[in-house]
Amino acid sequence: MKVNKEVRQLSRQLLRASFTDGQLDGGRVTSLVKSLIEKKPRNYIGVLDAYKRLLRLEVEKRSATIESATELNAEASAKIVDNLKRKYGPDLATEFVVNPALLGGMRIRVGSDVWDSSVRNRLQRLQEQL
Amino acid sequence: MSTILEDIETQIAGLKTSTSKSNVGVVRDTGDGVARIEGLSDVMLNEMIEFSSGVVGLALNLEETEVGAIILGDTTRVMEGDEARTTGKLLSVPVGKALLGRVVNTIGEPLDGKGPIKAEASYPLEKIAPGVIKRRSVNQPVQTGIMAIDAMVPIGRGQRELIIGDRATGKSTIAIDAIISQARLNKAGEEGRLKDFRPLYCIYVAIGQKNSNVARALAVLDANGAMPYTTIVSAPASDTAANQYLAPFAGAAMGEWFMDNGMDALIVYDDLSKHAVAYRQVSLVLKRPSGREAYPGDVFYLHSRLLERSARVTEEAGGGSVTALPIIETQAGDVSAYIPTNVISITDGQIYLETDLFYQGVRPAISVGLSVSRVGSAAQIKAIKQVAGKIKLDLAQFRELAAFAQFGSDLDAGTKARLDRGQRIVELFKQTQYNPIPVEEQAAVLWAMQNGYLDSVPVEKIKAFQVKLQDHLRTRKEGILNSIVTKKAIDKELETELAAALDEFKSTFQ
Ligand SMILES: Nc1ncnc2c1ncn2[C@@H]1O[C@H](COP(=O)(O)OP(=O)(O)OP(=O)(O)O)[C@@H](O)[C@H]1O
Ligand SMILES: [Mg+2]
Repeated sequence: MKVNKEVRQLSRQLLRASFTDGQLDGGRVTSLVKSLIEKKPRNYIGVLDAYKRLLRLEVEKRSATIESATELNAEASAKIVDNLKRKYGPDLATEFVVNPALLGGMRIRVGSDVWDSSVRNRLQRLQEQL
Repeated sequence: MSTILEDIETQIAGLKTSTSKSNVGVVRDTGDGVARIEGLSDVMLNEMIEFSSGVVGLALNLEETEVGAIILGDTTRVMEGDEARTTGKLLSVPVGKALLGRVVNTIGEPLDGKGPIKAEASYPLEKIAPGVIKRRSVNQPVQTGIMAIDAMVPIGRGQRELIIGDRATGKSTIAIDAIISQARLNKAGEEGRLKDFRPLYCIYVAIGQKNSNVARALAVLDANGAMPYTTIVSAPASDTAANQYLAPFAGAAMGEWFMDNGMDALIVYDDLSKHAVAYRQVSLVLKRPSGREAYPGDVFYLHSRLLERSARVTEEAGGGSVTALPIIETQAGDVSAYIPTNVISITDGQIYLETDLFYQGVRPAISVGLSVSRVGSAAQIKAIKQVAGKIKLDLAQFRELAAFAQFGSDLDAGTKARLDRGQRIVELFKQTQYNPIPVEEQAAVLWAMQNGYLDSVPVEKIKAFQVKLQDHLRTRKEGILNSIVTKKAIDKELETELAAALDEFKSTFQ
């Protein structure tokens, strides 16, 4: 229990130190990890694991997945990326996925927020309402 | 038909334009009916969440990077990597009169195979109890039909009276008897035989019990015609701890519907000891810190917020009520254990059942000294007050004297008289199960005792005397019983009639 708490606190401190100007800084992360491995504090492997998880969550918060039933043309995708960046900040990473199971429309996920205008979702909601 | 089509049309139109926004997370691991979910950054405490397989869960632990949720329903259909999304809804159950006569599980789904329930409304499981302005004090009785209770520890509508005792001391039986008694009164009320009668609907919540016990309760209620006024909420021992933990709240929600609509309800929680154990289990798998007896620190709050929902509301608020009969099982009569003391301090009194009395044949095994009702006497009808006022004291004195009398044989006349009286009261209060006695018969029998008609009857014949007397009154002297019901008191005129009837009866009884 005690060890756990230490791990949690240290990994959180590391995460806080990984930002410059409110943005995740790759260079800082690498140097933090390097210094941790050199110093080898108690239970450092566990700390690294927890740190990795926190980083992953942080990255997920700042990345958008745009699913569409068919491939989007360049103009449309540029517009979407533009809009999302305006809402979530310029460091947002975007990824486009083609998912025919949506049947039509789009589904955009940023962190844990989801906007869904796909035909599949509408059908599901209609089914629930009836 | 055309309106239905239009309805669908508008719904489709709404869907065409709308984009739905939701908040999702990913299940990281599951176990013991609990899922840990990453993401779900907007989830609220106690919000219902839906997994991709359609199973629902309840968010109970909101942590920095994770949400701990209990899974309601088939836990095997929730797997690592599944998506979970918020619904913006609180967990709710169907409520209303459609539930009467039914057996349902924690989320209000029928278990009795009598088809779907067409409920008129649904209520959230957790609701804030009525505040002080909306409440009024108890002034209407719950007639349990158990003479010892109605005379000595009366219960009023809106009260919370604990039934506490060791295992197999007749706790459930008292609750079932009370439900049967309500059914008989409700029926009489429907037939117009009682004036100003307000029906009392019953909800029996079975928590962590054996399925066979629930089946037995159902069979008894059915055989006594009580099911048309009763709902059974069942979360048996084989159900998940989460369902057992939520079952009483579902029962409370069903009861609240009656209260909000100006009606009266009686809820039996059988039993809260097992409920606390289920809650402990849920808390431990959610890794919440544990305290005394390994129960989580908020187990007092758990029971107090449940029982605070019983109330009698003012006429302006509709005048409805919810009465609660929680049951607690003690170990070797220890009322100072954690959960018993908690619930004793929350409720408005307790009916304490003793193993020793039960095996001496004093059934229901109510301990006079340790049973109290803090508010119920305000609700007793005058007739009972007149005849039962001194009984509790008489009986308590008798118990004390009886302990002394074992040692010596030289007793003065006063002591002897008190002992004789006490023995007869004890006999009168013995009562077989599933056999509630109407309040007017109770009043007549107790009046006979107070006025010395039983003093010459040998102790071992008291029970037979009582049964025959009730029979006699019911068949030959219906007028007397009816006027006790309508007058609600025993006046001079009734006294002379009762005296005449008893003289007549005694001459035939041997
Ligand atoms: N008044 C009574 N007269 C005769 N038998 C009774 C009476 N009350 C209860 N019993 C019997 O005593 C037994 C135990 O009763 P009951 O199941 O109500 O007890 P309980 O305290 O609820 O038990 P448990 O701890 O198992 O929940 C039953 O077999 C019941 O039939
Ligand atoms: Mg029982």
